[in-house]
Amino acid sequence: MSTRLLDREFEYVAPNSLADALDLLSAYEGGVKVMAGGTDLLVKLKTGADIPFSILLDTKDITELSFISKCEEGIEIGALTKLCNIDRNTMLSDYHALVEAIPLMASPAVRNMGTIGGNIVNASPAADTACPLMVYDAVLRLSSASGDREVPISKFFTGVSKTVIKDDEMLVSIVLPRVKPDSGSCFIKKTRVKPDISKISVTAYIERDGSAVKACRIAMGAVAPTPIELLGVGDKAFDRVATKELFLELAELAASIIKPIDDIRSTAEYRREISKVLVAQALETAWQRAGGTL
Amino acid sequence: MKIPEVIPEKYVVGTDTPRMDGYAKVTGKQEYSSDISYPDMMWAVVIRSPFPHAEIVSIDTSEAEAFGAVVLTSKDTNPYLYNERSVSVPNATFRDRRLLPTDKVRHYGEPVMALAHDTEALAHKAARLVKIVYRELPYVLDAEEAMKDGAPQLFDKIYLGDEEVLVHNNKGVIRNIDEGNVDKGFAEADHIYEAHYVLDRIYHNQLETKSAVCKPEPDGSMTVWCTTQSIHGTRSLIAKLLDLPFSKVNIKKVTLGGGFGSSIQMNTVIPICAALAKKSGRPVKLLSSREEDFYSHHKYPTTFDIKLGVTSDMMITAAEVKALVDFGSHQIQPLAYIGCTAGWFASLYKYGSNIRFNGTAVYTNKVPCCAMQGYGNPQINFAIESMIDDICNEHGWDPIEFRLKNYRTVGDEFWGQGPTIRSIIKTSGVKESLIEGGELFNWKERKPHTEKTGRYRKGIGVARGFHTSGTGGPKEGEVIDYSSAYIKINEDGSVDVVSPVMDHGGGTWDALAKICADVLQVPLNKVGMSPTDTRTTGFDICTHATRGVYCGGAAVEHVALKVREKLLEVAGRIMNEDPKRLSIYRDDELGQGVVYLIGFPDKRMTIEQIAFHAKNYSWGTIAYADSYRQKNCPPCFVTHFVEVEVDTLTGDINMTKALMYGDCGTAINPKLLEGQLIGSFNRGLGYTLYEHIDYDNKTGQLKNRAMMVDYKTPTFCEMPYVKDCMVRVCDVYEPTGPFGAKGIGEAALASVAASIGNAIYNAVGIRFTSIPITPEKMLKALKEKEENA
Repeated sequence: MSTRLLDREFEYVAPNSLADALDLLSAYEGGVKVMAGGTDLLVKLKTGADIPFSILLDTKDITELSFISKCEEGIEIGALTKLCNIDRNTMLSDYHALVEAIPLMASPAVRNMGTIGGNIVNASPAADTACPLMVYDAVLRLSSASGDREVPISKFFTGVSKTVIKDDEMLVSIVLPRVKPDSGSCFIKKTRVKPDISKISVTAYIERDGSAVKACRIAMGAVAPTPIELLGVGDKAFDRVATKELFLELAELAASIIKPIDDIRSTAEYRREISKVLVAQALETAWQRAGGTL
Repeated sequence: MKIPEVIPEKYVVGTDTPRMDGYAKVTGKQEYSSDISYPDMMWAVVIRSPFPHAEIVSIDTSEAEAFGAVVLTSKDTNPYLYNERSVSVPNATFRDRRLLPTDKVRHYGEPVMALAHDTEALAHKAARLVKIVYRELPYVLDAEEAMKDGAPQLFDKIYLGDEEVLVHNNKGVIRNIDEGNVDKGFAEADHIYEAHYVLDRIYHNQLETKSAVCKPEPDGSMTVWCTTQSIHGTRSLIAKLLDLPFSKVNIKKVTLGGGFGSSIQMNTVIPICAALAKKSGRPVKLLSSREEDFYSHHKYPTTFDIKLGVTSDMMITAAEVKALVDFGSHQIQPLAYIGCTAGWFASLYKYGSNIRFNGTAVYTNKVPCCAMQGYGNPQINFAIESMIDDICNEHGWDPIEFRLKNYRTVGDEFWGQGPTIRSIIKTSGVKESLIEGGELFNWKERKPHTEKTGRYRKGIGVARGFHTSGTGGPKEGEVIDYSSAYIKINEDGSVDVVSPVMDHGGGTWDALAKICADVLQVPLNKVGMSPTDTRTTGFDICTHATRGVYCGGAAVEHVALKVREKLLEVAGRIMNEDPKRLSIYRDDELGQGVVYLIGFPDKRMTIEQIAFHAKNYSWGTIAYADSYRQKNCPPCFVTHFVEVEVDTLTGDINMTKALMYGDCGTAINPKLLEGQLIGSFNRGLGYTLYEHIDYDNKTGQLKNRAMMVDYKTPTFCEMPYVKDCMVRVCDVYEPTGPFGAKGIGEAALASVAASIGNAIYNAVGIRFTSIPITPEKMLKALKEKEENA
């Protein structure tokens, strides 16, 4: 095994429009692999991952998919927007958890190449942009030569590196609903050293009604085969007065339902143990960002 | 202006000067082995074992050859058994390795064969056409298991020098040392302490992976550019393996992208590349990928059982160490490693002169281990310095006072490279570093862990260590140590230094240039370090054992003094004066060295004028060449004070403050010294908190698949803030060193791990006897402590 070169033969295409890319995908259904920033895919290919394809479709020239703009629902982010262009965009500054997650991802060199769409479609259980997008109820816009469809991100992941995306489809953009008033969110992750994949990540989102919780959502990375929202945990806070005790209670509950594993980055036991601390901490911060006090 | 009778000399030694290779390095213009290219060059690929232990049944290269590859199997190579490390004398060197294995492979990733083709891609394609049949053998990955009867045997026989040695139960080396009366010493003790320490293997992670470019010359000789810390050591082995006289093997001195000890030995890809070049008759380039490099060399792991006897008045009366080393599948001198580890142990404290050391080193089906910054020193230091902290904590003794009562100091014996190389310590900054360091760190205000509460707990710790400077002693031992230099004054007064000494990146070449500049009193920018090779230099053993400045620099100083003598002689002839009445000073306005008559300094000539005259009178070049051997191995000392903060809810350990107090004698280049100390602290931090190599027992492979993404080393984010990284240097002048200098490189790492471990104990009252101390381990230990309380 050698990461010095990609020891594999394939055709390389770099279309310069979405339409051309979708045509290629439909013409060679199943034989094409789409590459966004390549920060995951190239490493996988160099290290002999079993990814069948005969054509590599490089999206680097499809500039129309790199954008951040206002839309009817809120904000739309082009799938090929580089990670480094997201966290400093003022249009997104109220999406606290998202802009907090980006600078913690990998290193500047990787963020300069990696895209938000790539991070989602790569479908790592530890994908750092996935959980923030979940708590905001983001919708993914998928296109193929035969039509478009929308999939809520909560319905997108089906397993490790697996999604509902079809062979002839591409992720085109991500739609973030408008930020609700009196809401706040927070993203926390633990890593081995600073620039690293998450051992565990926690995203919390809270809407406030005076001193009570109006809505609360918690999503976590690297504790299941996909990034997950802990349905039923946040709901327990509905209409209750926010206190440290409440957040600790939710954190205990979260820790009891996640199913982390032992792997090279950490242990199941450790992940479960610190989730109690991290979930409470994320909730507290989200609450404070929603304008609440404790 | 009145000129005094004797004009004081000026020195660049001790001042900060920009690195000579700094510009080239930061602009990417520095040439490394991998940058060498020739138009008709081939690219080589090594095919490596997919099993931890297997018999090689057959190799079919016909398709690869039909595809145009030049292949190299063991049939094409010299079957001579070698040890790639050649710093020890032959009768203290075990030999068990062939250029390519003839019978079986002994670790996952071991080279089996190699081939070359016109491009790297074609070479990889050809490699896929090779068919190798293996018969898998049972394997063993654990040292204790390997010593049991019936365990898979890696070798039946090996050689020690020219003598055949049978290997029993995979025991590669056994080395026992007993001095004084240990049993009596323990009997005199009031308290006996015993503990078990585990120091696991880690990876060197030097920036440049092991590489070579080999070019067969029309006259039958071979030119080699390669990653090495010793051009002469590499030459002797390449000559042996290619069956060429030394004069037909030329190893180029080329910049090395870091080594940390992993290129003391000739790296295995170098003779493979050379053999391919010889067979193909074309230049061949062989670059290791990071993954191949990861499967080529690790730091020695060692487990220790330590026993110390201590009296109630704080004196250690006896010490016993049992060391077990799992060195992997080939010997890159665990014999020397064990000897050195015994030496570091013996030299830390006096122990009433009663010491016993039993070392065993065992073959396993893992990557061969080799020296890595400290050669056993960080390992044994962690064990002893942790235990001393425990002893002091138990009795309420001040760890600084305890150390000052027991450490080996001026007048005591120091083992510079195991039991056969000893010299007497002449200088020591230990006292200064412990006392002044303690004050800088508010040591006296340190509170015990029992007084600490809350989620975040801070603790401070101290540990001290050292390393040798070189491997010379008054009496020659089992390690070879001398260096050489050739220095000439050019016809314009500038100077060329031709030195075989390698620089790993620590700035050794700058140090040599500065030493030469100061002896001859010429401006530093007039001194050039010649790009040279083995043909044009005298012998130098290797840049290892922190000997670059102390030994290599001493050779330069010795030769420069001879050149100075010759220069004054020539000047005397021109000036018609007795050379004994002449001296030199550096004149920065002239940008020249100036020779003048003592007592009558108006009578003077620049070195340029003298060299110019010597040329025009056809008197020859003012030059000198010689070898030089240091007859001491003075310890360079270091003391680390650190402060950590433990998050008791997550187990995170943050480094909040560190003081690195070094004694290197004269600091030749203070900024580079600071860099060495801080850089080594970072590496020690990795060793203590982050780095580990795990083997998968089911496959014999590395769990991280040799990928850096799953081998985490600390970045600057894990370091204390710049303002909290303090560096101090002891006021010491080593009389035996060039301009008072000793070494520092390996010492800088010695006590990092122990100081962090001791600070963690002071924060949370938990003693870790194995590293790395990960948040996972910390949280588990905190929970256990809570449950036991």
